[in-house]
Amino acid sequence: MKGVKTIFNISLKARFGSLKLDLEYKGSKRVLGVFGVSGAGKTTFLECLAGLRKVMSGQITVAGEIWLDTETSCFVPTEKRHIGFVPQDHLLFPHKNVLGNLEAGKARALQSGRDFQSILKKVVAVLELEPLLDRSIDQLSGGERQRVSLGRALCSGPQLLLLDEPLASLDLRMRRKIFPFLIRIKEAFELPIVVVSHNPTELQVLCDDVLILENGRNVMTGSPNELFASDSLFNVAKERGFENVFSGTIIEKSDQVDCLSLSEENGNICIQIPPTDSLLGDRVLVSIGFENVLVGLERPRGLSARNCLSATISRVENAGTRWLVHALVVDAVPEFVVEVTYDAIEALHLESGLRIYLVFKTSSVTTLNG
Amino acid sequence: MLWAVVASLLVAVPGLTIAYLLARREFFGKKVLSTFTTLPLVLPPTAVGYLLLRLFADDGWLGRERLGFDLDIILSWKAVVIACSIMSFPIFVRTARVAFEEVNPRLERMGRTLGMGRQKVFLSITLPLASRGLIAATLLGFTRALGEFGATIILAGNIPGRTQTLASALFSAQQSGNETLANQLLGVALLVGFIAVYTTERLASKRSLRKEQTG
Repeated sequence: MKGVKTIFNISLKARFGSLKLDLEYKGSKRVLGVFGVSGAGKTTFLECLAGLRKVMSGQITVAGEIWLDTETSCFVPTEKRHIGFVPQDHLLFPHKNVLGNLEAGKARALQSGRDFQSILKKVVAVLELEPLLDRSIDQLSGGERQRVSLGRALCSGPQLLLLDEPLASLDLRMRRKIFPFLIRIKEAFELPIVVVSHNPTELQVLCDDVLILENGRNVMTGSPNELFASDSLFNVAKERGFENVFSGTIIEKSDQVDCLSLSEENGNICIQIPPTDSLLGDRVLVSIGFENVLVGLERPRGLSARNCLSATISRVENAGTRWLVHALVVDAVPEFVVEVTYDAIEALHLESGLRIYLVFKTSSVTTLNG
Repeated sequence: MLWAVVASLLVAVPGLTIAYLLARREFFGKKVLSTFTTLPLVLPPTAVGYLLLRLFADDGWLGRERLGFDLDIILSWKAVVIACSIMSFPIFVRTARVAFEEVNPRLERMGRTLGMGRQKVFLSITLPLASRGLIAATLLGFTRALGEFGATIILAGNIPGRTQTLASALFSAQQSGNETLANQLLGVALLVGFIAVYTTERLASKRSLRKEQTG
């Protein structure tokens, strides 16, 4: 860890009604996810980070800046914390138009020595807000409002972006449209981000580290794939949409299918996916359900399924009532996780180090963006 | 009518402050303050007038003997303004308080996350969002001041050209049998009252529409 800068150093103890918050987290990953059932204290945790709630004892240091230290009676008020907060219900100012909302944090951006016009230009470009600038808030759709809310937070020149279930108020179709903007934000703005979500896929794609909250305590911390595939979380995560998620580049297009390259190293690993609106060369995120992948000991012949990847089992583990096979195709591609029955493990002698073939249908691949 | 305008303006600053405190802050004695500000609404206006008269009388708490100088309130234009202000204060504060309470406090908190201090949040978020309700409060306060009779007649009397208000002028005209003047004054009262209340109604319906649209 030498040389790696700590971004978050948080320890909090507080009681809000029946919720007792008691957690510690220290990490150097830029994007931190917070996962938990409702009532676990996710939003309260975020509000404590924002300084909107007072805590009994604790410390909050973000990117070297101390915002709270109850031992030295240090409490930096919300307006001085340089945060951007995006709530799930957008909370745009109804008496201002879109541009007015984006300019709401202009004074702080200027105070911190930022060039507001260049931030505004970048935000408008990244979130595609140009056609909306003159509109009033009641003329916007749910997805547009959430984009403006993201833009408003970014325009204020924050040092930390707090996203409180930014997609939760949107329907599935709208969520798919807005999700790519969150990915763009992560890539375009070099900001520490804390994102609260009850959707494992969102956290898988966005976060480097995830904190699992249960009754106000962080019961687990780790990488999203590792945590959601663990025996204590797998069932809950799967119910909420936890799947294999990969990103790749479109390298071929036809009316029937697109070809996605998952890795160009080690001899172009490609899969066929249903046709997308994306163009050749676009980065696309796809997901494949764990139960939609078959495991074979030999390369199958005469099958209609178009995708067959050679892989090596890295581990076989029990996740609650289910069995999971983790398999690595190549180092540059995240591990595939395949759900199998115990019978299959016994019959095929599936164990770590075994060479296998992963087979799945084109139609079992879902595009998450594009 | 001029006195009613002056009284409405006079009420605005302390009225706004108290309405905001009652709507947004928790403090010791909040209910007592709320009760005191509402009291003139439930007391007989003549009782309020008599109370003010005792207050400003020579031997009263704000009288010549205690202060050492004469504020020269009783039976002057100042008495009209004070009586109208006190009587319109409760309706202004209550309406303004509701206007502030209708502003979603989470919007104010969003302002703070964008770097706005409390003062800026009040000026650029709370006040504009409560503005329709505050205009309605001012109009209702104004009509209350315009119709003030009981407290004014005791503290300021009914001196034509000096302390006579629309209400007391109408009373005098009716008592002296001057029906033409009484009718004219009635017309003015009806017109001003209608415009004020109609405007308030319109503002209230726009407010509820905006609330629906913004959740």
